[in-house]
Amino acid sequence: MSTIQAPGIGRRWLAKHSVNASDQRSALLLLSPMMAVLFAVAVFPILYSLWISLFDVKLTRPRSAPFVGLGNYTQAFADPLFWTSVERTLVFTVMSVSAIMVIATLMALLLNQEFRGRRLLSTVLLIPWAIPYVVDGLMWKWIYDSGYGALNGALLQLHFIDKYVVWLGDTAKTLPLIANAFVWKEVPLATILLLVTLKSVPTDLYGAARVDGANLWGRFVHVTLPSLRPGFMLVIIYEAMMAVRHFDLFFLLTEGGPANASNVLAWHIYVETFRNLSFGSGAAIAYLLALATFAMSYVVIRTVGNRI
Amino acid sequence: MSTVENRGLDRRRFLLQLSAAAGLASVGMTGLVRSARAAQPINFYAWSAGVDTVKRELAAFQKESGLTVNYNNLPYAQYREAMVTKFVGQAPIDMLWVSDAWLPEWADAGWLAPIDAYPRLMAYNADVVDFCTESTRYKGHQYGMTYYTDYMGFFYDADKLAKAGIAAPPTTWDELVAQSLKIKAAGLSDYPLMVSMARESWLIEFMSAMVFSHGGRFVDDNGHAVMDDPTHGAVAALQWLTDAVNKHKILSPACVELGELNGMKAVASGNHAFALLPRYRIEALNDPQQSHVAGHIKQALIPAGPKGSQTTVAWMRMHAMSASAGQDKQRGANAARLIEAFGGKFDGQYAFQKAMFLDTGTAFGVKPLFKDPEIRAAYEKYGDFAMFEKQQEQARRKDVIARWFGDWDEVNGTAWQSALLGRSSVADALKHSAQSWTSLSKQA
Repeated sequence: MSTIQAPGIGRRWLAKHSVNASDQRSALLLLSPMMAVLFAVAVFPILYSLWISLFDVKLTRPRSAPFVGLGNYTQAFADPLFWTSVERTLVFTVMSVSAIMVIATLMALLLNQEFRGRRLLSTVLLIPWAIPYVVDGLMWKWIYDSGYGALNGALLQLHFIDKYVVWLGDTAKTLPLIANAFVWKEVPLATILLLVTLKSVPTDLYGAARVDGANLWGRFVHVTLPSLRPGFMLVIIYEAMMAVRHFDLFFLLTEGGPANASNVLAWHIYVETFRNLSFGSGAAIAYLLALATFAMSYVVIRTVGNRI
Repeated sequence: MSTVENRGLDRRRFLLQLSAAAGLASVGMTGLVRSARAAQPINFYAWSAGVDTVKRELAAFQKESGLTVNYNNLPYAQYREAMVTKFVGQAPIDMLWVSDAWLPEWADAGWLAPIDAYPRLMAYNADVVDFCTESTRYKGHQYGMTYYTDYMGFFYDADKLAKAGIAAPPTTWDELVAQSLKIKAAGLSDYPLMVSMARESWLIEFMSAMVFSHGGRFVDDNGHAVMDDPTHGAVAALQWLTDAVNKHKILSPACVELGELNGMKAVASGNHAFALLPRYRIEALNDPQQSHVAGHIKQALIPAGPKGSQTTVAWMRMHAMSASAGQDKQRGANAARLIEAFGGKFDGQYAFQKAMFLDTGTAFGVKPLFKDPEIRAAYEKYGDFAMFEKQQEQARRKDVIARWFGDWDEVNGTAWQSALLGRSSVADALKHSAQSWTSLSKQA
């Protein structure tokens, strides 16, 4: 290196570089307040909760928090309720994400066409997305109520049922009904993401496919679907992450019941942490959930993402 | 010389004056500190019940005592968790409301101060119903004074019973089945009975009422789980409920998603003929502004099981003092004054308990108020005071009050729901519940 650099060039380089170092110092100085805030509100709590997960911290036993190492993790794995909640979470996630993918794809394809009222439909579609989850949950709680709910009222008037049906109180129906409320809220965003992807497909491709003799189905299978892959990956990852750690609807609609029928991981963590006040084991299960989410995203990116 | 002497005198005088001034200042400061501490506001935490009444009574207390009170209220559903967090975070708390169910947990954690050290407060025990005093005691200490006490009442719709040709309400759970089937057959109600079995804090009260009236126990006097014992456990009660849902179909399977408040509303809308509800709900049920069946709802003694009696469960909530207030003489004295004003007498009468009863219908725990003509007259407008007293005499406290109650309650509630929905047998559900109790008690 030293043989290549002439003394003059080296000085210029050094002078330039010293300015950069000064700039870097200034940048660091200016960014430090924000970095301190980020450390305080994001990094520190994450590290601290990891630390807590190694202790048997129970708030109602404030004078004793023994170090248990990975004990909280092994205890979680040994608890049958943990595995029940894992199973419920997987069922809920697969059910929700599949429904979101199908409905959002159909909606995106519809909104990608030119027709009268398209703008109005696009606007209406956004309404569920704009509604907070708490409102969404309360609304569906009223709809599903077995005594005065709108669902029973509508089905009875349409003669689909002859007497009111128990909805959320029926363990076989609980998860699909919560998934339905989740899908209703999440479809708009998924539709927008897929619609944006569709808009970016060059129309030449469809023209070329037509020239090659592809019919409507052929154009959908060979042009539209492959073009939608980036959108699919984005929607699958995002919605799966949302579904896996979803809590609001379970809290508002069933509180994990009846008889643990909707006891998903997020609810299990809530009960362990905020009802049993066992912060150590609650933090451990939360870390397991975070790891599972990372693993799931990795698998999706490695499978769907590789084909993009 | 004189100058030197003068200087010396000046110095001595100066030092004397300085020390005198410092002494005076320290005396003054002590007085100031004392008066400042006396003037420190009382930090009072409660759940959001009877908020207007509490504010009104607090205003009277502040005017009379010259003390100020910071009144904070939180939703009952999240109260335990919120307060525990505040205790751990060492938030300033002087006086607070405590449920009998949390007393062992909070006392063992060192968050509550016994009030034994305040003879003025202890003197009220002579007037207090024994059940209430017992409920405020833990490990030989008394931790509070009654805020309110009540029990699980049995109600029936007299109009529906009359229409079905039933002359008197049931005295046994078997009679209730027969009457319910009659009411069902007459098309008066699809599910004549309402019992809330949703997993919420009320669930243990509903379950305990069923167990006690069936002559059962969750836990024996030694604290050992007996709930799964077929002879004197909770088996008969849970079996009866399971049959009511699945065999007789007089209790809706939706009971597992029906909380206490919505259950009360369902009764008020005229959907049911019989209901288990907190006794104070009779006021709302017979209020035409809130109920379609106003005037028809009557209270009867809770039906008895084959080996049981007409015994129900009672609960009590108390005014308690935080440990941090108890450790500070002045803060403790201030908190004790407020506890006395609310749990004892204020202006010569049990003003707070009486006001709560008249405003919200929640029952009191002091004997003199049972004879108060104003209270009797107010109650007779919507209920039968004699029945209120009669059932209260046959009410007893929960047998599951322990430090691990909160953890066990989660498991037990789910077990009962599982049996009701046919996801497990009654025996398995109660066995699971008993195992959880034993395991938690060993850990504790």
